[in-house]
Parts: sequence; C-alpha cells; structure tokens
Amino acid sequence: MDFLSECGGVTMQSDLDLRFVRMQKTTGLHLAMEAENTLQQLTEFADTPQAMTYFYELFRNFYKNGHQLPAGKKVIGTMCLQVPDELILAAGAVPVRMCSGAYAYEQVGAEFLPAKSCPVVKATTGMLHINQPVWGEDVSAIVIPTTCDQKKKGGEMLKEMGYPVYILEMPASKDSDAARFYWQESVKKFALDLGETTGTRITSAALQAVIGEKTECCRLFRKLNDLRKGKTPLIFGKDIFLVTSAYFIDEMGNWQQAVRQLIAELEEREQNDLAVTNRQAPRLLLTGSPPLFPNLKVPILVEQTGGIIVADEVCSSNRLLYDAVSYDEVNLDDMVSALADRYLKPCTCPCLTPNLDRNRKIVELVNSHKVEGVIYQAFSGCLPYEMEQKSISQTMNEAGVPMLYLETDYGNEDLGQLSTRVEAFIESIKARRRKK
Amino acid sequence: MNSFKKAINNAHLSRFRFYFQIASFVLLIYGGYLAINIGDQLPTFACIFSEHRGGSCYLLGLQHQMGTPWSSYFSGRGIGILVGLLTFIGLFLVFNKAWCGFVCPLGTVQDWLTILRNKFKIRYGGYSEPVFQRLSKIKYILLALLILIPMAIGNSFFGLATLNHDFGVPFCQICPGRTLLPIFSGDFSQLAIDLSSKTKMVFTALGLLITGIFLAGSFIKKRFFCLFCPMSAFHYIFAKAALLRLNKDGAKCTRCGNCYRACDVGIRAIADDLEHKNIVKDDCMMCLKCVEMCPEQGCLQVKFLGVPVFEATEDGFFKRMRGRDDAK
Ligand code: SF4
Ligand code: SF4
Ligand code: SF4
Ligand code: SF4
Repeated sequence: MDFLSECGGVTMQSDLDLRFVRMQKTTGLHLAMEAENTLQQLTEFADTPQAMTYFYELFRNFYKNGHQLPAGKKVIGTMCLQVPDELILAAGAVPVRMCSGAYAYEQVGAEFLPAKSCPVVKATTGMLHINQPVWGEDVSAIVIPTTCDQKKKGGEMLKEMGYPVYILEMPASKDSDAARFYWQESVKKFALDLGETTGTRITSAALQAVIGEKTECCRLFRKLNDLRKGKTPLIFGKDIFLVTSAYFIDEMGNWQQAVRQLIAELEEREQNDLAVTNRQAPRLLLTGSPPLFPNLKVPILVEQTGGIIVADEVCSSNRLLYDAVSYDEVNLDDMVSALADRYLKPCTCPCLTPNLDRNRKIVELVNSHKVEGVIYQAFSGCLPYEMEQKSISQTMNEAGVPMLYLETDYGNEDLGQLSTRVEAFIESIKARRRKK
Repeated sequence: MNSFKKAINNAHLSRFRFYFQIASFVLLIYGGYLAINIGDQLPTFACIFSEHRGGSCYLLGLQHQMGTPWSSYFSGRGIGILVGLLTFIGLFLVFNKAWCGFVCPLGTVQDWLTILRNKFKIRYGGYSEPVFQRLSKIKYILLALLILIPMAIGNSFFGLATLNHDFGVPFCQICPGRTLLPIFSGDFSQLAIDLSSKTKMVFTALGLLITGIFLAGSFIKKRFFCLFCPMSAFHYIFAKAALLRLNKDGAKCTRCGNCYRACDVGIRAIADDLEHKNIVKDDCMMCLKCVEMCPEQGCLQVKFLGVPVFEATEDGFFKRMRGRDDAK
C-alpha cells in the first residue's frame, strides 16, 4: 500500500514536472512570437523616426533568446513605479520592473489566479512562476509596494514560490502629514535594507549621482512631452510607449543617449514641418491601465484607425518619468526624504484616495496638448481604474472633451469590437470639428 | 527681450540672493562708517543698537510712539506718528516680504547658521503641520503686546494704573536683533542683564534666553525665528496691497510639493493651495526658492506692478538641478 501510494506520488510529481517544462517551452515560444508581432505592427507605420530603430532592436533582442535577467550585478525586481529605482542603483544593484504586458505570461497566471484578477497581476505572477527555476536564484529581492490589493496578495504567492519578497509599505492617501511621514520612514527603511541585501551601503555621493542621472531622464522625457504639444504631429504615441517601456529594461545612460537622438531627429522634423501622420488626425490622450510591452494593443489600434495619441496619463509613461526629485541639501536625510516625496506627492495612482489630482492633471494635459478626445483604457479586473472611470468621465464632460471608455485585456478576442468603437469615436471627433 | 527673459528665468536666484543678502547686511550694519543712512522706518530688523548701522528698524520707533498719551495723538506728535507709519508702509509696499528674504540682517544670520549646519552635516528639524499652525500665531500675540504695553505706559486702560517707563520698547528688550547684530561691529555690551530695575532685569534676562534659543533654533530649523517675528505679522497687514507679488496658477500645479520642500519657513500652502492667486502667506519671506524649484511653466510667478519678473519654467528648473549636481 505504502509502496503503491509512493509510486503514485512520484508519477504525479513527474507528470507535473513534465507539464511545467512543456508550458515553459510553449510560453517562451508564444512570448517571442507576441513580441515580434507587436514590433511588426509598430514598424508598419510610415515615416517612423530613424532613431526608433534603437528601441525596436532593444526589444527584439530582449525576447529573442528567451526572457533573461541582466547578468553581472544583483537584480532587484520591482512591481510598480512606486519603488524608487534610484535607491536600488545607488546600492549597486540593477532594478528590473517586473510588471508584464505579455499575454503568454497572463495565460500562465490564469492557471492559478482567480479568473477575475487583473491581467497585469496575472502576467507578472505567471512570468515569475514559469521562470522560477531559472530566476529563483538570481533575484535578490522582489519589491512590492502596498498599492493595489492584487499585487499584495500576488506577493504572498511569490513568497510561497520561494522568491525573496520585500513589502514596501505605502499609505493609501497622501494628503496628511501622517501619511507623508509614514512613507518617508518606509523609504528610509528600504534604503537601509537594500544596503544589507546588496552588501553596498548607500552613500550620499552615490545617491546624488543616481538622482542626477534620473533627473536627466526626466528632462528628456519632458522634452519629448513638449514636442508633442505642437500643431504638427511629430511622433506617434505607440512609439512613446515603447520608449518609456524601454526605460524598464535599459541601462540609464544608453536610454538617455537613444532618447537624445530621437529628440534631435524630432526637432529637425519640427523645423522642416514634417508631420508623421495626417495633420488632421484627431489628437487624443490615453489614460488608465498601463500599456506595457508587448501589450500595446490599444495605442496601436487607435493610431492605425487614424488618431494620434499626443499625451498620456499612465504609470508606464508620464507618471513614471515626469517628476524629478528636488532635494535641498546634499545629505542622505534630505535626499532620501525628497526621494520619498517625489514618489508620493505628485502620484495620481487610483489606489490613493482622494485622487482628484488625476482629474486635474488630465485637464491640464488636455489644455497643454490641445487634446480633442480621451481614451480611457481599463484592464478588466483592475477595479480601481474601472471605478475611477466615472469621476474622470464626469470631469471630461464638464471640460467638454469626449471620452471613450474601453474595458479590455491582453488577448486579441475583443479586437473587432474595440476597433468598431474606436473608429466610431474618431469619426465623432471629426464630425464635432466640422460642426465647430 | 525674449532671450533676456529666458536668461532671468534660468537664473540661480538663490545664489544671487546669497550675495544680495551680504550686500544688504554690510549696508545695514556698517553703512554708518560711510555716513549712509537709509532711514529709521525700515520694515526689517536692522537694529538701532548697532552703532554703525546704515538704517534701522521701525519697531523701535513704533514702540516709542505708542507710549504717547492719547490726548497728544491729535497734535504735532500725531503727525509724526503718521508720517513714520506711512514711510514704513511705503517702503514695505515696494518690496513686500522680500525685505525678509533679501534684506533683513537677522534673517540673513539665520541663513548663515543653516549653511554652517550643512557644513557640519547635521540634519535639520521641522514641524508637523498642526504644530506649525499653532506656532505661527505667536507672532501676532507679540505684535499686539509690543503695541499694547507701551500704550499702557502713556495711558490708563480701564482705569488701571499706567506702567512705568521700564516697560518701554518691550520687544527690543527681548529681541535677538539687539543682542546679536551689534556684535558684528564689535559691540558685545548688549549681551548683558540690565540690573537697573526689576522689570529691566526680567526683560533683558529673557532677551538673553531668547538669543540662546534663537541661535540653537535657527541652527537646527531653517528660519526658526521668522515664524515668531512680530515684524512679519505687521507686514502681513499690508502685504495684500504690495507692488511685488508672488502669484500661483492653481490649474498648472501638480501638487508635486517641490516648492514646499524648498521652503525654509515650511509653508505647506504654497504646494497645496490651489485657489488663491496671491500666494504670499503671513510667514512667507519671499525668498522665491519655491519659484526656482517649481517645474511647471508659469505656475508660480513673481510680478512687479503686474509685470512678470521671474517665473517658474521647466527649463529653468532643470538648469538649476544640473547646477546642483555639478556643484558637488
Ligand atoms: S531690538 Fe529688535 S525690534 Fe528693536 S530696533 Fe533692534 S532689531 Fe528692531
Ligand atoms: S521675519 Fe525674519 S526676516 Fe523678516 S523681519 Fe523678522 S527676522 Fe527679519
Ligand atoms: S512646485 Fe509648482 S507644481 Fe509643484 S506643488 Fe509647488 S507650485 Fe505646484
Ligand atoms: S513660500 Fe516661497 S517665497 Fe515664501 S518663504 Fe517659502 S519658499 Fe520662500
């Protein structure tokens, strides 16, 4: 009896192993195909700036030989933009933003997560699950800020998978002194703990240097943002999302170099008044759940349909790189608390309450970028974004700007339906214009 | 014109301010050597007790004049009081609270203490918002007292006995300007307790204590004393009418908090107030550090007679950030 049950156990175990290995293989294949597919679509547009090639190649190579973590230094995974990557770099490690936009990974996560959970969480948890045998040893920590509930619970699962999970405690609102000090203390503790994990204590000189580099990234991002204000459309939003997604995986210096080139090219085009698309293309703003490579489904669709995304309010782009750290004194105390403030005060994540700064920010972007319509993308399962749609939609209504609400996910099943709605929306903006 | 404006908006105003403060300090503390005197109604703590001063603080005159019996308000003395007050108001209205950020020697001394602390790599202190709000009221009480006590010398309130003359210029007796500023011209005599009467003894002993608190406080907390300064309270009565203004366009503000972080006094409203256009709060010293640190185009604006003279720009912000990194 004993023998039999043991035997049974063994077969079951190796069955599982076999299944896992098979899944690993197919996921890898699907992922590569998915990445290639997105890149294909991105490059099909005419008149793409030359400097975008760097970013296309970056992603092409990233997924070509299997999804790998950077080698050489300690890797710290981050699960949200709320994790100050400056501290990780100053502690001599490499930050890797883990939020995944891959359908292939989402399928893996769907195996063990509730059907209603959000695709970002499914994909990210799925990714870490399927890569666990390879990555388990290489990741020094996975940092999860206590922003959304699904990430928190996902973190508990990751811990069970054997990952060293680090919870970065964050308040649920940002206006009170108590919230601010609580967060500053969290970040301070994180800075100290990082030093222990990597074995390199963060010094004020190292942190100052990293903040300087990051500030340059912000400056460049803002330059891009400014170039999108002009009447002549110079660059598609889908390309901007690729550029900011590249910030997740690229080394800062290389990223800056490539963005500088892109800016130079766009400035030249601006001077020659060279539009990247039809000048009459409706000017749109994208907000809501983040477009994460390879899931650029909605931006690509919108721009294939004849619109152009000239501004965005999402955590994989504007919220990631718009604000720079402003410290007053060169010492760890002031710099770390300034860093903490940078991640809390301007934050417009719907996990915060109240979050009216988000409404105000979108209105301001609508004005500065002469936006004619707002696309609100919500991943089904992401309740905060789904619920906040009401408030944003009302604000847009008051501002007299039409808004299209799209509930979607990483799959392609809804493409037909989405495309009809996007088309109708863009047509309605054109019709509005004629009436004016 | 446009490139000129740009150059100004890109400027490191704080560096300029640092040198301007030194120049003002020299003028107000040592101007007497060159027979310079810019007046005795200055809206700033240039102390009458510094022998070689180039101008002096209105609070002394004010306290003196408040000791006048009410009956003589309508005589020539009344006109004297009025002229003094109008001179003070006139001077104040031109530069508004920038007198505090750019001119006041006592303010400058506090900023120097901050630089010193920084050299020692000691961390600064601050207040939580509720404590700040509570402390911020003290200066109004001091202002009321420095007017009411002298009044009670020359007049009887509600039939009470009048105070004796040892209560004259009560604020000067406890003011750190009196004890500290003369030191810069080699005069240490104010660092003493006046034993000539009980009242004076108490006042001057209190003065020494406050001087100690001033030094320790401003070493740890930036512009520690300014939060309690009755001059600042007096300023605020007229600030709304000043020619130099600090304006905020709430629609452009992201509430990033950069300005609040930069503010040495610790004025929260500069970041969180989205309603008021005129954003000069009672504790503001118009150092304009907040404008330097604001990255939103035209969100904070300094205007003189309605003409913008310095404003927040994205370019300026990043230029200054770069300068900060290069300066290490
Ligand atoms: S003691 Fe203070 S209040 Fe009096 S004149 Fe001097 S600085 Fe002004
Ligand atoms: S508030 Fe500060 S700067 Fe202004 S007069 Fe008083 S001490 Fe001087
Ligand atoms: S720095 Fe400017 S944008 Fe930021 S909170 Fe202050 S005023 Fe608003
Ligand atoms: S609000 Fe601005 S100008 Fe006023 S004291 Fe603070 S930083 Fe200086």
